[in-house]
Amino acid sequence: MNLFLKSQLKQAAAFTAGLVVATCTVAAQVAVTVEGTVALPQPVAPAKVNQRYAGQAGSFLPPEPPTAIVYLEGAPVPADEKPSTNVVQVVQKGMQFGPGLLAVRKGTRVEFPNGDDFYHNVFSYSKSKRFDLGRFLKDEKPPAVTFDQPGVVKLYCEIHEHMRGTVVVLDTPYFVKTDTNGVYRLSGLPAGQFKLKAWLDEKRVLEQPVDLKPGAILRVNFPGS
Amino acid sequence: MKASLTILVLLLVSQLGQAQEAVLQRIDEALQYQSPGGFFRSKLSGLIDLEVDYIDRRPPGLLFGNADLFNPRLSLFLDTHMGEQFYSLVQFRADRGFDPRSKPDGDARFDEYLLRWTPWTDGQFNLQAGKFATVFGKWVQRHDSWQNPFITAPLAYENVNTITDQAAPGSPGAFLARRSLADQKTKWLPVIWGPAYTSGASVFGQVEKWDYAVEFKNASISSRPAVWDAQDLNWEHPTVSARLGLTPNAAWNFGASASYGAYLLPGAEASLPAGRGLGSYTQTTLGTDISWSHHAWQIWGEALVARFQVPTVGNADTFTCFIETKYKVTPNLFAAVRWNQQLCGTVPDGTGGSQHWDRNISRVDTAVGYRFTRHLQGKLQYSYTHENAPFQQGEQLLAAQFTVKF
Repeated sequence: MNLFLKSQLKQAAAFTAGLVVATCTVAAQVAVTVEGTVALPQPVAPAKVNQRYAGQAGSFLPPEPPTAIVYLEGAPVPADEKPSTNVVQVVQKGMQFGPGLLAVRKGTRVEFPNGDDFYHNVFSYSKSKRFDLGRFLKDEKPPAVTFDQPGVVKLYCEIHEHMRGTVVVLDTPYFVKTDTNGVYRLSGLPAGQFKLKAWLDEKRVLEQPVDLKPGAILRVNFPGS
Repeated sequence: MKASLTILVLLLVSQLGQAQEAVLQRIDEALQYQSPGGFFRSKLSGLIDLEVDYIDRRPPGLLFGNADLFNPRLSLFLDTHMGEQFYSLVQFRADRGFDPRSKPDGDARFDEYLLRWTPWTDGQFNLQAGKFATVFGKWVQRHDSWQNPFITAPLAYENVNTITDQAAPGSPGAFLARRSLADQKTKWLPVIWGPAYTSGASVFGQVEKWDYAVEFKNASISSRPAVWDAQDLNWEHPTVSARLGLTPNAAWNFGASASYGAYLLPGAEASLPAGRGLGSYTQTTLGTDISWSHHAWQIWGEALVARFQVPTVGNADTFTCFIETKYKVTPNLFAAVRWNQQLCGTVPDGTGGSQHWDRNISRVDTAVGYRFTRHLQGKLQYSYTHENAPFQQGEQLLAAQFTVKF
């Protein structure tokens, strides 16, 4: 009985191992990578804070250089994909949102810690998410927002009008943020014909059709418009 | 008709909110200039206010005229930075007078113009000159229609008293007799006339948790807008004002202010007792302010004592205070309540006794506001005032204001 059981277990283990190896091999063969460059806009000079009256003070850091979000539109979401449970942070420090541009999957919870010694606020009147977190301190638990609708959410601070931030909420797991040179690499994509988009800002969303072949590495550049 | 028009505009704009937002955002971005390299940067911004006031009796505070009123206003701000050390501000307004309907046929003015030098980037020292809001108190830092949760100013900044800057009263009795008159807004003075955009120079800065400001101006903080420009008075009797603030943490701010200077205008000189000049009659004002905020709550409070030296009468003292709170109900909707009080001291009545020199007054202001977008805001205010007098002025005030910010 014991021998029979051991034999059965060995067979099962061998089958499972084989299945895992085969799955990984197939996945490696079908997964697609897209890489390239997005032509980014020129960095803008840091905003000047208009402190019109005495008693309104504070110094600030320069804003983050421009970047873009590259994402694949129309690709099927893997069947075993679970809703996003990620928690990411956008820090307010030096009177800037950091990162100034964030891409998240729908359902992601974003925390907004205050990294300055004075009050900050975060609010948005964007259609896909309307919220106001009030005024909060550096040392308190960072307030958070769950972005449950795809769309572009513009972030502002009521206290420091020059502060700007953007959360791009996507209904796809296939996205990446470029570096400050516009370089990106998006891997683990499914094969098929889709649209590859580069989001620079609300007025500039570039797109190119892509035919993703299993196992291929495709180069797609988004030249300046 | 005007009220209906305002309500119609409100409804239309609220419906078009998102479309307007995109247009206003583009305007906002277009109204700025920057030189190559960013040394020179200039930005034009503005506020368009449409205000209607319904008053059951005589208009209170600094609302002029004798009936309901419609008060549109365009405010333009030109903020310019030249390198790290120089900043200038020009504020231009077109409206029906600095105070609503004080010039019913229309008026246009430069209400503020200043040049500021900041030699060091740490903000510890700034020097500025021009025509600008007083450093006294804390309310002036949030007095524009976008930031003020109410439509009117606190009582201390708008309630006119029986003190005049234009002539000495003939006798104590004549002075006390003013209590039975309705407010003479072209002659009488409040403790502080709104933001008091008087002319002069100031130094201010922030050193760790402390901030300070001292100003040397051409006119008193109670002076009327007609004398705020640098050439309006001859600088023989300037006013010095100062404020010291402490911010122990982000939530709290405490301040103490003081102001001293002559308040009578040159035209009053002829009516003064022999041997006395304009400099003999001063306004001395001491104030304290406190503010606290956290999450959806903001609270401000100020308390002031002022002494006006009144020719032929003596010292007319008054205490005035307000406490104000604002609560954000939703991301767009806020509500605010403000309690205002003013108490007047006694002066000799000329017959061996003493009497209160003006009417004590209390007022509660309530307001709700809605920010449709980052550029559009609507506010509705109801105020109830009670004066310790045989008659009331503006006992009930209902006001609506719609603001476009760009």
